Amino acid sequence: MGTFIQLFVDGLSTGSIYAALALAIVLVNQATGLINFAQGGMAVLAAYVAWWCVSNGVPLILAILVSVLFSFALGAVIERYVMRRFERGDPDTAIVVTVGLLTLITGVCGWLWSYNNQQFPSLFPLDTVQVLGASISVRSIGTTIVIIAIMALLQALFIGTKFGLALRAVAVNPTSAAFSGLPVGRLLMAGWGLAAGLGAVAGALVAPQLTLTPGMMDNALVYALAAVILGGLSSPIGVVVAAWLIGVLENLAAVYIPFIGYDLKVAVPFVLIFVVLIVRPQGLFGRKAVVRV
Amino acid sequence: MNMRKRTRAVLGVVALTSAIALTLAGCSRGGGGDATAGAASPGITDDSITLGITTPLSGATAGPGTCTVAGVTAYFGAVNAAGGVTFGDGKTRKVDIKALDDAYDPQKAKANYDQLKDSVFAMTAGLGTPTNRAYREAAIADKVPQVLVMTGDPLFSNQQESPWQLGFVPIYQNEGEAFGKLLASSSGTHKVAILSQNDDYGEGYVEGFKEGINGASNVEVVKELTYEATDTSVDAQLTELAASGADVFFNAMSITPLVISSLQKAQQLNWLPSWFLPSNTSSPGAILQPGGATAFPGVYTVAFAQSASAPDFATSKDGEQFLADLKQYANYPDVPAFPHCIWSYQLGAVLQQAFEKMTAPTRDDFMTQLRSISGFQAPFMLEGTAVDTTKDGLPAVSSVLVQKYNGKGYATAKSFG
Repeated sequence: MGTFIQLFVDGLSTGSIYAALALAIVLVNQATGLINFAQGGMAVLAAYVAWWCVSNGVPLILAILVSVLFSFALGAVIERYVMRRFERGDPDTAIVVTVGLLTLITGVCGWLWSYNNQQFPSLFPLDTVQVLGASISVRSIGTTIVIIAIMALLQALFIGTKFGLALRAVAVNPTSAAFSGLPVGRLLMAGWGLAAGLGAVAGALVAPQLTLTPGMMDNALVYALAAVILGGLSSPIGVVVAAWLIGVLENLAAVYIPFIGYDLKVAVPFVLIFVVLIVRPQGLFGRKAVVRV
Repeated sequence: MNMRKRTRAVLGVVALTSAIALTLAGCSRGGGGDATAGAASPGITDDSITLGITTPLSGATAGPGTCTVAGVTAYFGAVNAAGGVTFGDGKTRKVDIKALDDAYDPQKAKANYDQLKDSVFAMTAGLGTPTNRAYREAAIADKVPQVLVMTGDPLFSNQQESPWQLGFVPIYQNEGEAFGKLLASSSGTHKVAILSQNDDYGEGYVEGFKEGINGASNVEVVKELTYEATDTSVDAQLTELAASGADVFFNAMSITPLVISSLQKAQQLNWLPSWFLPSNTSSPGAILQPGGATAFPGVYTVAFAQSASAPDFATSKDGEQFLADLKQYANYPDVPAFPHCIWSYQLGAVLQQAFEKMTAPTRDDFMTQLRSISGFQAPFMLEGTAVDTTKDGLPAVSSVLVQKYNGKGYATAKSFG
């Protein structure tokens, strides 16, 4: 029983890493209608900024705040000067541009700070607490709580505020949004900035666990995208639940289904996506896009 | 108009013919090292010799990859500054190094090799099994030496299979076996849990370890699991292994962040076995300190070279010189966290041995001389280990010593416990 609970809790903890990144992807998608593949790279760059501040004597919390502000500005600048040129064109082109950005940002991080692993200080202590025979690390609990808080805030932003509604309106139909007087350009910049700021939080949360390297988020990004598709692009709650589901099922399948084991566990989330997409193409929590003719 | 068309056609034919002629010329020149007797091979003149390296300088493996270039560049930088290497044919040559980035991508490694093969005398020092394998067959066909490469894959040291290759670092099996023998020779009984990378690397270590404990009645492997090199977490494996109650954990892992998180996870699970770690993922500064390794009764690794990140290294005379060379000639200002800088500095010394014996400036003679070095004590080699290139099936260095972590650096472990 202890092992089962341990695997379950570890799965939630790994899932929270994917969830942090997935939330940022959802935010950009809700604000611009795009999937931003550079999200992982931007989170890594933000984590480097925080790490650089800490190495120069800035307290950790302050360093993370600086990295969030830096990221917000970076996101807004990227939207204004890079992405805007592609926003009215083919969405596929814009997505390819984000892939290019990912490569570029990763390269810049490597160039500035080398590819060596850097130790990023953790916000939470390395202690553990014992619950029902399982050791749960305080860091996992802390990460999970922060993720839940962000998820709730985002959900509230999109559902309960005028600003969130405006962001969604711009994403769904920029032309109509402009006709109804919404400042489309500024809203798009704000959307990218917010997502990048959120990515910075994700970076600071996972960097202690993965250790900071330019490619730190590469594998996590694949799982985050899986969580986004599984949970539904329009639902912050959905992607977090999906990310946890992926983390937990992967762990349990590896140990309790002998046929799968550790060799095939990587396939578990993708089989899951396959099944879900056949039954519910919009994802577990996503809304169906309806087009009135 | 007609005139112009004809001129264009003629020009086209001329251009095509020139292109073909150039390609053919390139082919015949680029045919590789089978220079006729007496004629110099490509990449060597009367006053210089050029070596090629393809290794990861970007991407996840860039840390150790950059180190492999830095060590050998520093070594020959100092040698060149002192005048160069006096070869066996009486000529003194400077050693030039051309290093290209393959980002640990086999296809890029092959492309780099194709780019370098006509201008370099030999390929050397490149890090990585898949990348070295990617151009191995081409190097054999072109008769281009691919020597003292940084991979524990035994294939590179098999002269029948790989006539133009030689590995430098001990093969995985050597390292695994050293752990197994140390454990088998201890007085107590031991239960061992193993976590290994699901490829040749992990399999090699496990095979060697089992060879080492073969016939020992006091050692039992109670649980064996694997992980993929792309995994972001091995928490589930550690949870399962901890439940086995093993008192020794062999973590045959090549991914730095995963080793750190394994050390942390085991402590969180309150599982405190003795650890065996491969030589390339046991750095005191980069892995053991952030992982909190002092919590365990013993962390062991195998080594043949001193560790540059051990505290007394920088204050020793040789260590000081090494770090200064690294800074001056290789633009590497930090104390290296990876052992690869020292390893490739040593392989520079081994290459120099071979150069000094060469009586003809040919790749053939180089291979013959390189394979005739034995009992050579390269800089920073631990006492009891030596370079021996004469044994078929083994890399240049195959003798290793088990080391125990003492909270700062490593000391040779005579016995387990």
